[in-house]
Amino acid sequence: MASFSLNGQAVEVDADPRTPLLWVIREHLRYTGTKFGCGVGQCGACTVHIDGASTYSCLTPVSAIEGREITTIEGLSPDSDHPLQRAWVEEEVPQCGYCQSGQIMRAADLLATNPSPTREEIVTHMSTILCRCGTYNRIIRAIERAAEEV
Amino acid sequence: MNRKDSTSAFSPNRREFLHGVGGLTLVIGSSGLIGACTTEQPPPLPATGSTEITPNIWVTLGADDTVTVQFPATEMGQGSSTALPLILADELDADWDKVKIETVAFHDEAYGNPFFQNMLYTAGSLTVQAYFDPLRRAGAQARKLLLQSAAAYWDVPVEELMTEPSVVVHPASGRRLGYGEIVAFTELPETLPEVSDDELKPFGSHRYLGRDMPRRDMLAKSDGSAEFGIDVHVPDMVYASVLRAPVEDEEPISIDDAAARAVDGVTDVVALPWGVAVVADTYEASKWGKEALDVTWSESSRFREANSATDLDTYVGQAEDLAQTGTAWRAAGELDAAMEGAAEIIEATYRSDPAYHAQMEPMNATAHVTEDGKAAEIWVSTQTQSLSILGAAEFLETTPDRITLHPMYIGGGFGRRTLRRQRYVEDALLVSKAVGRPVKVIWTREDDVKDGTFRNAAAQCLRAGFDGDGKLVGWHHRVAAPKVLEYMNPPRWEVSAGRDVIAMLGSESSRYDIPNFRAEHILTERCSRVCAWRGVATSYTKFAAESFVDELAAARNIDPLEYRMQLCHNNPRALTVLETVAEMADWSRPREGTALGLALAGYSSTFAGGIAEISVDESSGVIDVHNFWLVADAGYLLQPSNSEAQLEGNVVFGISSALSEQIDIAGGQVQQNNYYDHPVMRMHEMPNIEVRAISTDNPPTGIGEVGLSSTAAALANAVFAATGARVRHIPLTPQRVLAAMQA
Repeated sequence: MASFSLNGQAVEVDADPRTPLLWVIREHLRYTGTKFGCGVGQCGACTVHIDGASTYSCLTPVSAIEGREITTIEGLSPDSDHPLQRAWVEEEVPQCGYCQSGQIMRAADLLATNPSPTREEIVTHMSTILCRCGTYNRIIRAIERAAEEV
Repeated sequence: MNRKDSTSAFSPNRREFLHGVGGLTLVIGSSGLIGACTTEQPPPLPATGSTEITPNIWVTLGADDTVTVQFPATEMGQGSSTALPLILADELDADWDKVKIETVAFHDEAYGNPFFQNMLYTAGSLTVQAYFDPLRRAGAQARKLLLQSAAAYWDVPVEELMTEPSVVVHPASGRRLGYGEIVAFTELPETLPEVSDDELKPFGSHRYLGRDMPRRDMLAKSDGSAEFGIDVHVPDMVYASVLRAPVEDEEPISIDDAAARAVDGVTDVVALPWGVAVVADTYEASKWGKEALDVTWSESSRFREANSATDLDTYVGQAEDLAQTGTAWRAAGELDAAMEGAAEIIEATYRSDPAYHAQMEPMNATAHVTEDGKAAEIWVSTQTQSLSILGAAEFLETTPDRITLHPMYIGGGFGRRTLRRQRYVEDALLVSKAVGRPVKVIWTREDDVKDGTFRNAAAQCLRAGFDGDGKLVGWHHRVAAPKVLEYMNPPRWEVSAGRDVIAMLGSESSRYDIPNFRAEHILTERCSRVCAWRGVATSYTKFAAESFVDELAAARNIDPLEYRMQLCHNNPRALTVLETVAEMADWSRPREGTALGLALAGYSSTFAGGIAEISVDESSGVIDVHNFWLVADAGYLLQPSNSEAQLEGNVVFGISSALSEQIDIAGGQVQQNNYYDHPVMRMHEMPNIEVRAISTDNPPTGIGEVGLSSTAAALANAVFAATGARVRHIPLTPQRVLAAMQA
């Protein structure tokens, strides 16, 4: 039985300790905003926050998060109104949308530690998350817009 | 704290409710009369009691003021789930905020795309192009009906009326009626009003089109609530992971599943014709069970001989062997005579490897088959509702009305989800039938790569004939490629008269004025699973044709831009695209350390031109892309900002594939595994990209793929400009660049 906090709520999950956090979140708890893309820490679609830091949930066994705080896209803001989410809508970033939860969680981690990132800092930080549709330019613009607001 | 079970990512269509076997869906209902937009008190309305009217198959008007539009395509990032309803709403003059969108979730040719034999089929950048006219007419017809009904009610000539968003206005008297109010007293006449061409809004006069209305799918894709196929959860479902045969057409001949069955949570092991499925209560248990299987496979498939390098050599031999004739794709003039009489002939051969879609959402499907095995409910990310239904019905040997489809948002399509036989759906159908429960099948990324259904390999021999004055008089484009369409969709191939659009698109080179022309398809043996890929064949046919034009310009010692302008002198749209992209790139400015390459490469009826600015590391052969400019004229632009987003995405996708994405097949087995050995472009690898979508007074055409035709050729031409080396093989890997430089 794994015990941790998910989006501010205490949860207990009966899962094999080796189970990647990704599948616990998505299939056991059905918070499906976090996506599966590669399973090997390459694409970043599975990015969540563990104690505030962005992490590949596909590489994190549930045994490693005992007692820790997990935040997913569903818990980023109460009403989908995090500055990044508003900026994502304003800039119309998503195309297919599949990677965007990971993009936003990764960007939120950046702005939390660096509220006014340079373009170069944005690019370096965000290069862990793939977008096959090629929305990178708009991701940069949205992060810059959100940073102005924060 | 489990969350809800799934229905569908979209509001399901009411017909789905009527046809459905599962009864899980809800219908958007009308909820009584809501008076709106009235400024003065009219006498009580003569209500018929109707809560809604449906003037045509595309739109239902509610007495509560809602306007429900049928969306016959798939939203996969291209934005047509906004653009299509917007077309209708604009002509109807509906208040956009009152428009609800329902996805057509059943197979009905009335809603189908005429470019695809009236299938519901989202591909080829043909959605807006196909539906622009019918949706405009449907909106105009509904508006006309409302105007006639209001005119009769007020007893005024209909010519005295006008509309504002969702309101009919009689300016002379100041009277107003909301659309919903009119619905409440309107009975559908036996004959609906016809709409003539001159009653449609002229280009440039639209309220919404051309003005960047916000896409409807943005919020759901920014807060995690958008539901993709992989997000489905239905009551009582189990999971299955499938160990797939390593080579196409092989099958399991013996299965040792003892270790798999010993995995905690594993409930069943099911042999499939192409693999072995491990069924479990959780996804992870099914995956661990799959990894514990010990399977012996048959070794009889002809694909064991498949080898992407040597197979391509065979294709090259066929492309260059002029004794082998193919199926004509486009012919003009007298090519053979022109070539025979030519003073000079230039030839070059181009190669392209198989290409993987690398869409972010791996293949997956959820299915629930009834006990008799003759009906099913399926949830799947699909580019074609019709083929998902027809394919499943054929597979279960049942009728299409017994398949209930829940189309979902899709995590990237790029052609991968367009086949008639959808193996991921068949996985779920077979396992569900075997275990009697709903089954969710999720492919790993490795499954997705190794069972990939690729853009076919191709070899292309280009030949140009010149007369004694150096004028281009003949163009021969020989494409050696398999019958892709036959594999993707056999019934469509049967009626295609041998014309394989998936293998040949782009080879028509229709922008250039060349008097004697032939593009032909030399049929080769299929060496991998194949299907359409973003840009369809233009990603390789335009690589070849636009590299070749560059070679001809060099042979004639003419600037590549000038040479293309000469060749398309009588094509104003092509000239405008060329002039615009040249201006953006400042084409004539000398560069130091970098070089420019140009391609005039559109897609079907869309015009486009791209310019790459690159440098080459002469010791490693690595191409560094500094800038890419892309201009497209897709006719009248409905959503300009989204059009530019599409172009940007095209450039990223196109450069990524042209530089480094490679699929190698040896012994019938795909050698790549995942993003670590099939890298796709990351943000830090992206060059500066500038795009421009020009709006012109031409019917709107596609813009979701048009950049794929420019990128590879522009890059290769830039490599030539930088180094003098001609790389004629995509992807333009460092090894190939070095080899060309040393040749």
